[in-house]
Amino acid sequence: MTIQAFLKVEKMSVGYGATTVLDDLDLGIGKGEFVALLGSSGCGKTTLLRTIAGFAKPNAGSIRVAGRDVTHMAPDKRGMALVFQSYALWPHMTVAQNIGYGLKLQKRSREEIDARIKEMQDLLGLSGLGSRKPGQLSGGQRQRVALGRALAIDPEILLLDEPLSNLDARIRLTVRHEIRSLQKRLGITAIHVTHDREEAMVMADRIVIMNAGRIEQQGSPEAVYNMPASPFVAAFMGAENILSMQARVSGEQIELHEGAFNASTVTARNGRDLRSGPVELRFRAEAARLTSNSATAAVEPGALELRGQVTSVSYPGGHWRHAVRLGVDEILVDSDNPFGQGEIVKISVPATALFIFNASSEGTAH
Amino acid sequence: MQKRLIAIALVLPALIMIVLFFIVPLFASVVGAFDVGGVLGLGNFTKSFELYSGDMIFTVVIVTVSTALIGLLSIAIGGYLTLGENPRAVAILRWLYRWPMFIPFIVVGQVMRTFLAKNGLMNNILVSLGLLTPLQTIGFLDWRGIVIAFVWKQTPFVTLLVAGAMASLDRSTIEAARNLGASRLRILIEIVLPQIATTLMVGLILSFVTMMSVLSVPLMINAQSPTMLTADIAFRINAHGDYGVANALGLISLILTAGAALIYLRHSVKERS
Repeated sequence: MTIQAFLKVEKMSVGYGATTVLDDLDLGIGKGEFVALLGSSGCGKTTLLRTIAGFAKPNAGSIRVAGRDVTHMAPDKRGMALVFQSYALWPHMTVAQNIGYGLKLQKRSREEIDARIKEMQDLLGLSGLGSRKPGQLSGGQRQRVALGRALAIDPEILLLDEPLSNLDARIRLTVRHEIRSLQKRLGITAIHVTHDREEAMVMADRIVIMNAGRIEQQGSPEAVYNMPASPFVAAFMGAENILSMQARVSGEQIELHEGAFNASTVTARNGRDLRSGPVELRFRAEAARLTSNSATAAVEPGALELRGQVTSVSYPGGHWRHAVRLGVDEILVDSDNPFGQGEIVKISVPATALFIFNASSEGTAH
Repeated sequence: MQKRLIAIALVLPALIMIVLFFIVPLFASVVGAFDVGGVLGLGNFTKSFELYSGDMIFTVVIVTVSTALIGLLSIAIGGYLTLGENPRAVAILRWLYRWPMFIPFIVVGQVMRTFLAKNGLMNNILVSLGLLTPLQTIGFLDWRGIVIAFVWKQTPFVTLLVAGAMASLDRSTIEAARNLGASRLRILIEIVLPQIATTLMVGLILSFVTMMSVLSVPLMINAQSPTMLTADIAFRINAHGDYGVANALGLISLILTAGAALIYLRHSVKERS
């Protein structure tokens, strides 16, 4: 990272009892950046967020905000505000009281608090709801009150713990954009925890993909989508089709050996860190192209061509999804036109959509 | 038709039990309260107020003071169990606080009697520690003794309800307040307490009713005048065979208890609307 990080987590380890949740983790976040922590449940993303917020104590390591060590500070002294997954609104207080509570704790004047509450309500489209209790609001409105309560104290960093997971699928799509545009408008630094890939892609400047307490890969949405650094990231980013092959790496070229379902293929190495030997191939259903066996179009350079038999066809919307059998493996391939069940088809995967990794058994042997 | 008969037959045993052992005796006591030598009248009540109006006030004050103290203590203990940051202290308190609940009132009365008397255990300890001289000691075997016994016995019960309600709160509502900078005391008063107020209220009303009906503690600790209505009722029956005044006193304490229940009902109706 060339930019001086505004929030800096260094060599942090967190555990409960004997279990280690986060191990020796480093993360830097720039001022005004929107970072998504993405991973499946149990990967440590929420623990990381709670440790940054000050609700979990790290066993080792440090957290700095703008050069200031906040590792052992109380949650409220860190200039951060957390939006909880359950919203955590206080049911006995009105919307205005919820939003104004942080300012009341800071002993601001009555007028100042009222002005700020009004400002937050206008900002979040909650005008006229100030005297309602949270129980009388819709899910989306509660979510905005929780956001307003966090933003009212003017934090430097906004922490979001799966704030959209309790919303209806349709509302979620609009709230994504609302939060993102709000964050841009306020120029606030934000960390967003989610297990939803698309949510992370749409909202974040940078995606940090976590697995088993470590950071697997971080980068812009297009970088992690198009250049996954590990099989885990590739799978998490939707490249679910998996094939095993033998490869020989020579200079800038990778040769995939001929197999039962494919001819020998040579593709560019493209900076991949790869050794000769058994490899794992991954690609997305929508990235591959399906043609009939008799089609004679030339294979484009670097693309992998496979031959298989269609076992089932379904229509999830927009395109046809085919399950294609290659010996014991089965892959999913999308196509604009349906192919018949039992038909022999050709599948071509373009070089840019092909993710190649050394097979994991090979990796551990070295 | 047959189905209905079976249904009635199924309900009948329970119904008979209630009518026989609850409604009939209650009705008999109420009627008995107005029965003055075979004629219906208010004589028992005039006599009750003449003889025992001091005890009525004494009873209400003692039970109210005890209820208030129980409320404060149970909030403090429940609050510490929920918000305490020293895990060992929390564990010890959690283990300790329930014990008095399992001790019967009569034993509590006896324990307090030996503990609180002028030359009881408490004063002996204070004297042997050199904090008091034997001449300075005072006994607590009056209204204070009753209050101490009630609070000691009933606090665990209310704490059990209160701590349970606090434990089942959405923990993130507490963390959200911490995140904004609220101290633990403020979290307890402004965030936790309002959310468990109904449970606290139920616990206190139940305690109030229980304390109104305890006979053994006032008998053991404070048998002189003024004493509590339960002791008066027992005295009317045992010493005078005067069921009329005893019934009238019973009805009066029922009305006092109903007053507490009414406050609760009012509150819960307002809460819901």
